[in-house]
Amino acid sequence: MAVLGDFGTTWTKLLDTETGQRRVVPTREARDVKADIATGHNARRRAPRHVNELIALAQGGGRLISEAQFLVLDVGSRDVKYVHMRRGELAGMDWTTTCGALTGFTLELLGRYYGLDYDAIEPSAKSVPVTCAVLGMEQLFELVSEGVSEEEAVARFARGIAMNAYRFIGEPKQFYLSGGMCDNRLFLRSFPEEVEVRPLGRFVLVEGLVGEPERASVGGRGGE
Amino acid sequence: MGCPPEEALAPRRGEELMDLDNVVEGVEARSESLLPRTTCCIIRRILDNALALDLDEIVIDEGYGKCDAARGLVEVLEGLLEIPIVRTQNENREAAGTPICDSDLPVLRKMELILEGLVRPQKIDLPGEPKPRAAIWGVPAADLSIYELLPDGAQVLGWTRCLENRTPADWELEMYVPEGVPTVFYAQTFCPKNVVAQHLARRHHGLHVDADGVLSQPVRAKIEAFLRFRGAWARAA
Repeated sequence: MAVLGDFGTTWTKLLDTETGQRRVVPTREARDVKADIATGHNARRRAPRHVNELIALAQGGGRLISEAQFLVLDVGSRDVKYVHMRRGELAGMDWTTTCGALTGFTLELLGRYYGLDYDAIEPSAKSVPVTCAVLGMEQLFELVSEGVSEEEAVARFARGIAMNAYRFIGEPKQFYLSGGMCDNRLFLRSFPEEVEVRPLGRFVLVEGLVGEPERASVGGRGGE
Repeated sequence: MGCPPEEALAPRRGEELMDLDNVVEGVEARSESLLPRTTCCIIRRILDNALALDLDEIVIDEGYGKCDAARGLVEVLEGLLEIPIVRTQNENREAAGTPICDSDLPVLRKMELILEGLVRPQKIDLPGEPKPRAAIWGVPAADLSIYELLPDGAQVLGWTRCLENRTPADWELEMYVPEGVPTVFYAQTFCPKNVVAQHLARRHHGLHVDADGVLSQPVRAKIEAFLRFRGAWARAA
């Protein structure tokens, strides 16, 4: 029985394996929260045992998805990562190592700034090129100043992020999505129409920690 | 600098030798304003060391085993320093052997021995690792902590292997990759060796990573996940 935690940059996700209780709290309000096993950006400071996010994502996907082959994309607050597993073996993976500012954090920020309801915004056929965070934001504000509605400008922005992430994972016909963006209806609908996006929710990485203590006994750095 | 031929180093063995490619504690980074931003961290480090240390001369290998950036750096050094710069070309094909690369030692220790070996050659008996659980291909990494991510006895390949063998221009040896061993292919960011690192990673179902100086958390995570899911640790049990 253990408390498992995904200590992300913005949100902390906790699972008590004894009671089954799940909690999502802002990381800034969870500074004193400790777990038995942790993953995420702030994991090392929060638990005696730490598992890196790619391993947690792969194992969490394996627990939640019954197919022998799957690709799961995690869109976090500050980065994007994916793993592609085939019959328990790693077929591919990556983690953005450069500018990751244009991910969940930016969409959350824009939503609050403009007071938007992402459930009510229609996706846009157009997109803002978002290779660079600063330039992407600049283009968004430019669109608004030109008279494009805030909703449409943010929808183009969301499509830019979605398309970036989609190209990053190699443009598959179907994939699973992990992270807070699973709750953002606009983002979910901003991928190409013919692509099947299956949201798994925010607890995929935490699920990847279940059973981790037993696995530690077989050795392996990256899970210590 | 680089791996000069033994005939150039031998007459200087009685002097205090330093390998400018390696970290020297306390050296201030001054190369940023003197080199393009797309210069790899080893070239930057060599310039930092050369500017900071009180050197009598620099012996360099500017042969086939070195890149254009290193050859360009020689020109930069000649413009900045007043000490002699001895240009050599190491085309040696006489293999010194790779007992360290193939030993059962922790990989970090292997790298320390190889990197020290150029200025302090030593003969040591090392037990070989008959079944390496993983391998790492590439040039010596700027951040040596990458080697701590691999299981003990992981085989060392690529140019680092050529360095131990004292054949830095041996392309065939550099391209050697054993089949079936999970291999991490590493090059410094901005190093042209990334082209071949990525190619070999695809061909051998390995993992290609690059890092500019300090290893980032995502790069660490990729290596850890790759080794774990390719069974490098399970085979240890």
